[in-house]
Amino acid sequence: MALIDVKSFKKSFRGKTVHKDISFSVNKGECLGLVGGSGVGKSVVLRSLIGLEKADGGQIMIDGEDITKFSESQLTHVRIKVAYVFQNGALFDSLTIFENLAFPLREHTDLNENQIQEKISEQLEEFGLSGNENLYPNQLSGGMQKRVGLARSIIIGPKAILYDEPTAGLDPYNTLKIQEMILRMKKKGVTSILVTHDMPTAFAVCDRFCLIEDGRIKAQGTRDELENQKEGYLKKFIDGERGK
Amino acid sequence: MKTYFRNFIQFLGGTTLLSIEVFKELWTWPFPTKLTIEQIYQVGLKSLPIAFITAASTGMVMALQFGLGLEKFGGKLYVPKIVSLSIIREMGPVFTCLMLAARVGAGITSEIGSMTVTQQIDALRALGTSPIKKVVIPRVVACLFSIPLLVAIANAIGVAGGMLVGSSDLGLDPQFYMQKIFETITLTDYFSGFAKAPFFAIVISLVACYYGLNVEEGTRGVGSATTKSVVTSSIFILVGDYFLTKAFWVVEQWL
Repeated sequence: MALIDVKSFKKSFRGKTVHKDISFSVNKGECLGLVGGSGVGKSVVLRSLIGLEKADGGQIMIDGEDITKFSESQLTHVRIKVAYVFQNGALFDSLTIFENLAFPLREHTDLNENQIQEKISEQLEEFGLSGNENLYPNQLSGGMQKRVGLARSIIIGPKAILYDEPTAGLDPYNTLKIQEMILRMKKKGVTSILVTHDMPTAFAVCDRFCLIEDGRIKAQGTRDELENQKEGYLKKFIDGERGK
Repeated sequence: MKTYFRNFIQFLGGTTLLSIEVFKELWTWPFPTKLTIEQIYQVGLKSLPIAFITAASTGMVMALQFGLGLEKFGGKLYVPKIVSLSIIREMGPVFTCLMLAARVGAGITSEIGSMTVTQQIDALRALGTSPIKKVVIPRVVACLFSIPLLVAIANAIGVAGGMLVGSSDLGLDPQFYMQKIFETITLTDYFSGFAKAPFFAIVISLVACYYGLNVEEGTRGVGSATTKSVVTSSIFILVGDYFLTKAFWVVEQWL
């Protein structure tokens, strides 16, 4: 059964159409790779899935609810169910790492301070970040900031995670770490959508792919299905990415 | 011209919508008490020196100018009345709020603007919390609480500054100066000046938050939003002062 179902999604910015007709679905526990060239609007699709951008047309069904007409307050429960991992981590720079991780717990759970402390220690250990609780985001490397961002997004146990370029600008070690974390979440049965240009990561973690081009889904399917397509869209895209 | 008009309409619409959201969320539980106290420290306590210097120098300069000018006509004795009345009714609230529009307004816009361009505002929304509740309301409430207090302090300092110059440079007896102040200033005078402070506080905070939340074009946009915020607040304070003075004058006629 599909946890995320997008039907004929349309979006324009200041009269410029970015998406004409985007339709795809993601089943529970599945990882979908949303790929496409720079500027095709992959992040716009991702942001629209939790209402950070309003759709101009079409339907976005999250766990059976069409969220396109939801108000900000109605979107709260959707955003608890579906976590968003920002490209740069988007950590609150005036808060310590501990406070960043405690933020969603204090907002959406009834845990007391001791339980919060315990939960954060576990999470930091799982993400290889122990000992950094009292540091501020600007005292961490880019890779560590992304890991904290990921840890913060999933700390309240979402049903789905949306990853926006999680490995962009990272060294091979940190890229591998992020890949491992995405796979770990997948093993726990969490549904995910990954927007990326990093095809090795996409191939390592995604079950299916959607290739966006010119405001539409040009091709979708598993890696084998796309590679065997006679139009060769995926091959063209990968060759184009390599040529950059 | 067309762009300016469109931007102005957009600004009016945007600030109105923001005001409605702030008003709606202000009454929802829980109130962000800790964040508001932090902002009261930033807006109120940290603005004390600038409010003090502005008020003291305004009072001193006014006393000196009126004293030297009126001396030629033998009107030096009117200095306490004129200076205290001007400060209490106009100069205290307006000058203090203009300085706060620069200090507090610029600070709020640049801070929220930086949060916007680094996606921290989006992160708040993505984490299922409201930026209005976490970012805007603490600043609006802090301004509403602190700015009238700062104006009250500035009024007192301004009058004291005038008295200092009156006694030291103009040779007026401090006791006579005090007596004239208390004879002249009525509660109506005081409140017709002081009551402007909450209006100016709302203007400063809402305009600053609006520009901060609507920053575009990255870090360059933060700079331009900060400039717009200070200029817009200052214009609204100066123009609004005329209408508020007129409105209070009408009310005074009724009383």
